[in-house]
Amino acid sequence: MKLLVVIVLFGIGFALLPLENALRTERLQMKYGGAHVTFQLREAIGQNLAIALLAGMRGIVADFLWIQGHGFWEKREWLRQYRNIEVAVTLQPQSIMFWDLGQWHMAWNIGYGAFSDPKNRTKAEAIKREREWHEKARQFILRGIENIPNRYELYFTMGWLYFEKLSKDCDDPPCSEAFCKSADYLAMATSYPDAPQFVPRLYARALEKCGDLKAAYEEWKRLWRLDHSTTEQAWSIIEREIRRLEDYLQIPNQQRVFPQPTP
Amino acid sequence: MDAIRTEQLTKKYDLGWRKGKLLALEKLNLRVREGEVYGLLGPNGSGKSTTLKLVLDLVVPTEGSAWIFDVPCSKVVSRLHVGFLPENPYFYRYLTGAETLEFYGKLCGMRGATLKKRIEELLDLVGLTRARHRRLAGYSKGMLQRIGLAQALIHDPKLLLLDEPTAGVDPIGSKDIRDLILRLKGMGKTVLLSSHLLAQVQDICDRIGVLNRGQMILEGDVQTLISDQRRLSITVQDLPEAARARVEEAVRATGASIVSVGHPQTTLEALFLEALRKDQRREGEHD
Amino acid sequence: MTESAIAAPSMSRERVGFSAHRVSVIAVNTLTEAVRQKVFILFLLIGLVFIALAVFFAQFTFGEQMKFIKDTCLGVISVITTLIAIVGTAQLLPSEVENRTIYTILAKPVRRFEFLLGKFCGSLLLLLLSMAAMCILFAAVLWIKEQGMIRELSQSYVGESPAAHVEAQKQIEQIQTEVLDVELVKALVADLAKATLIASVTLLVSTFSTSLVFNVVVPFMVYVVGMLRGTAAEMWGAHRLFMAVLAVFPDFGLFSIADEINLGKVVPWGHIGQIVTYGVARTLVIVVAAHLVFSRREI
Repeated sequence: MKLLVVIVLFGIGFALLPLENALRTERLQMKYGGAHVTFQLREAIGQNLAIALLAGMRGIVADFLWIQGHGFWEKREWLRQYRNIEVAVTLQPQSIMFWDLGQWHMAWNIGYGAFSDPKNRTKAEAIKREREWHEKARQFILRGIENIPNRYELYFTMGWLYFEKLSKDCDDPPCSEAFCKSADYLAMATSYPDAPQFVPRLYARALEKCGDLKAAYEEWKRLWRLDHSTTEQAWSIIEREIRRLEDYLQIPNQQRVFPQPTP
Repeated sequence: MDAIRTEQLTKKYDLGWRKGKLLALEKLNLRVREGEVYGLLGPNGSGKSTTLKLVLDLVVPTEGSAWIFDVPCSKVVSRLHVGFLPENPYFYRYLTGAETLEFYGKLCGMRGATLKKRIEELLDLVGLTRARHRRLAGYSKGMLQRIGLAQALIHDPKLLLLDEPTAGVDPIGSKDIRDLILRLKGMGKTVLLSSHLLAQVQDICDRIGVLNRGQMILEGDVQTLISDQRRLSITVQDLPEAARARVEEAVRATGASIVSVGHPQTTLEALFLEALRKDQRREGEHD
Repeated sequence: MTESAIAAPSMSRERVGFSAHRVSVIAVNTLTEAVRQKVFILFLLIGLVFIALAVFFAQFTFGEQMKFIKDTCLGVISVITTLIAIVGTAQLLPSEVENRTIYTILAKPVRRFEFLLGKFCGSLLLLLLSMAAMCILFAAVLWIKEQGMIRELSQSYVGESPAAHVEAQKQIEQIQTEVLDVELVKALVADLAKATLIASVTLLVSTFSTSLVFNVVVPFMVYVVGMLRGTAAEMWGAHRLFMAVLAVFPDFGLFSIADEINLGKVVPWGHIGQIVTYGVARTLVIVVAAHLVFSRREI
C-alpha cells in the first residue's frame, strides 16, 4: 500500500513535469523571478533576508533594503545607501520605481552630498566627485533600460538626467551635446502612446536647447495638431511656444499656425 | 437472527519493525441475540475494546469475520442500525449539547423537523434538556456520557455498542446510565456493553462473556452463572431469637446442612443512593 | 436476511453511497470548531499590522508606498494562508483520534473517504474565510491610503491654474487605478491554489502519522524543498536523476507571481489558469493518496 502511494505521487510528479517546464519557461519569458540567489547575493543581503528570498518574498526583501537605504540617506551614509539600491535592482530588475528613484538618489542626493562634503579639499574636487555620481546614475539607467526596454519611463528618466544634470557637467555649460542626447532619449519616450503630456513638451524644449529650433518648432506644431477635444494637453503653453518660435524663426505669415493680424 | 455474530475473529497488532505482534483477540466466536443486553467483561487489555472496534470496522481483522444483523461488518451499510458510545468520549468541545446531536443526526441523513423532534426526545431521555445550549466544554463526565448515549441513539439504531459506559462516572450518574440501558432494553434494543465493573454488569446484563488475554474464558446467562443451585438462602424479618433455634433444627432434620447464618448486608452503593435520596427529601421539606 | 428487510422507514439504502451532504456536514463542523477556537483573533492582529504599515510608509513617495504596501500585504497573506493551511490541517485527524470523536463518526454510516474529504474541505473553507478576512483588511488599508493621498493632492493644488487642476485630476485617476488593481486578484488566486496544495500535503502526512509536530514539520519541509526546486533546476539542471527525485515535490515557486504583478507586469489569465490546473492536479492526486492510506488505517 505504501509502495502504491509512493508510486502514485511520483507518477503525478512525472506526469506534470511538462506543465512545470512550460510554466517555468513562460515565467522566464515574462521575466518573472529576477536575479537568482547566488552566493554573492546571499553575502550582500545577509542570511535572514536570503531565507525570506528563498521563501518567495523577493519583493518584500527588496522593499526592506530600499527602506533601509532610505534610512542611510537620512544619516547621510551615501555609500551604504548606494549598495542597497544596487541589491534592490538586482533582486527586482523589473521595478521601474527602483531604477527611477535609484538614479535620482545618485544624481541628485548622493551627488549633492559628495559635492558638499567638507572633506573635499578644493572646489574642483567637489565638482569632480559630483560628476562621478552623475555618471554612475547614467550607467545605472542604461542598465535599467536594458531590463525594461519596452516602457517610456526610463527613457524619460535618462532624458531628464541629461537635461537637468549632465548638461551642466562640461567645462563651459550649458553643454548642448547633453541636450541633444536628452532629446534622443525623450524622442524614444515620446514614441510611446502612454507617455504623459509633459514628455513631448520636454522633448521640444530639449530639441531647442540642442540647437535644432526647427525640429522643436515642428514638435510643438505636431502637438498642436492633435485632436483638442480628445487629447488632454496644456494647450495654452503649446500656443505660447509656437507663437514665440514663429517670431524667432521668422516664419512667413501664411505658413504660421498663428498668423499675425495684418495691420 | 443474531444482532452480532463473529467467527474465529482474530486481531494481531503490529508493534513495529522487528518488535513482533501483539495478539489482542484470538478466534472469538461471539453471538449477541437480538433484544438482549450482553456484557463483555475482562480486565484492561483483555480485548473488549478491540472486539467493539472490529465490529465497527475501525480496525481490520487479521483473521475471521464479523456480521451485524447478518451484514458483513466491512460494509458501510452494516452500520445503519448501530449506535456507538466510545470509552470516555470528549466530542467537539465547542458545540453545545443540541448542536452535537444535530451534527450526528445530519451525518445519519436526518434533517428538518424530524431531526429537531428527535433531538428534543433524546435530550429529554438522557435528562439534558436544561443543558442543551451549553457547550460540551462545560459538561461534567456524567453529562458527557449521557450526551454520548443520546448521540449513539440519534438515528434510532436497533443495536447499541457501549464501551465502558459507566467508567469514571459518579454512583448517581452510573445508576442513571444503567436505568437508561434497562429502558432501552424495554424498547426492544439490543445492547453490547463492555465493562470491568462486575457488580454493575450483574444488574443489567442478560448474558455475559469474560475475556482474558484475547480469549473468551467464560460465557453464559448471568442468573445461571451466579446462582448456586445446591444452595438456598431465605431472608426473614423480625424472627425472635428463640424461634431461630427451632428453624435451624427443622433444617437439620431434613438432612440439609446450614452453611452460614447472619445479617444480610446492603451494598455500599445502595446505602449511598438511599442516603442521598433521604437528603434530597429533607431538602424538599425545608423548601 | 436482506438489507432492505432491516432498513427502518427513515433509512433507505441509497444513502450509504457517497454523500456530498455528509461531506458538507463534516466540513461545516470542522470550520465551526476552528472559528470557535477564536483563530480570528489572529486576523485581528494581522489587520493591525496592515494598518500600521499604511502609517509607517507615509514618508515615502506615492509609488514607493503603493509598492511597499502591496508587497507586504500580499506577502503577509501568502505566509498566513500557508501557515493556516499547514497548522489547521495538521491537527484535524490527530485531534479527532485524541478526542475519540472519529470513533463516533465512523461508527455511523459514514464512509472514510467522506470523513477525510469533509475534514479537508473544512480546512479549505477556513482558508477561504481567513483569506477573505485578510483581503478586506488589505482593501481597507489601500482605501485609507487612497483617500489620504487624494486629500493631500487636492490641497496642494488649491488656488492653482485650471491647467494644474487638470494635471491634479490625472494624478488622482492614476492613484485610483493603482489602488483598484484587479491584477492583485490573480496573485490571490495563485496563493489560494498554493495553500490548497500544501493543505493536501499536510492531510496526506497526517493520515499516517499521529504526531502533531511531525504533521507540521514534514509539510513545511516539503514546502521549502518545493520552493527551492526552481533554484535547484537552475543550478543542477543537468543532473537528471536528481531532478527526477525532486519531481515528487510540488514546485511551490511557480505560485509566486505577486511580485511581478506588483511590478506592473501583465500576467495573463492563461498563465494563472495553468498554475491553478497544476495545483489542482497535484492536490487531487495527493488527496487520493491520502485516501489510500486512510482507508486502511487502524484507528
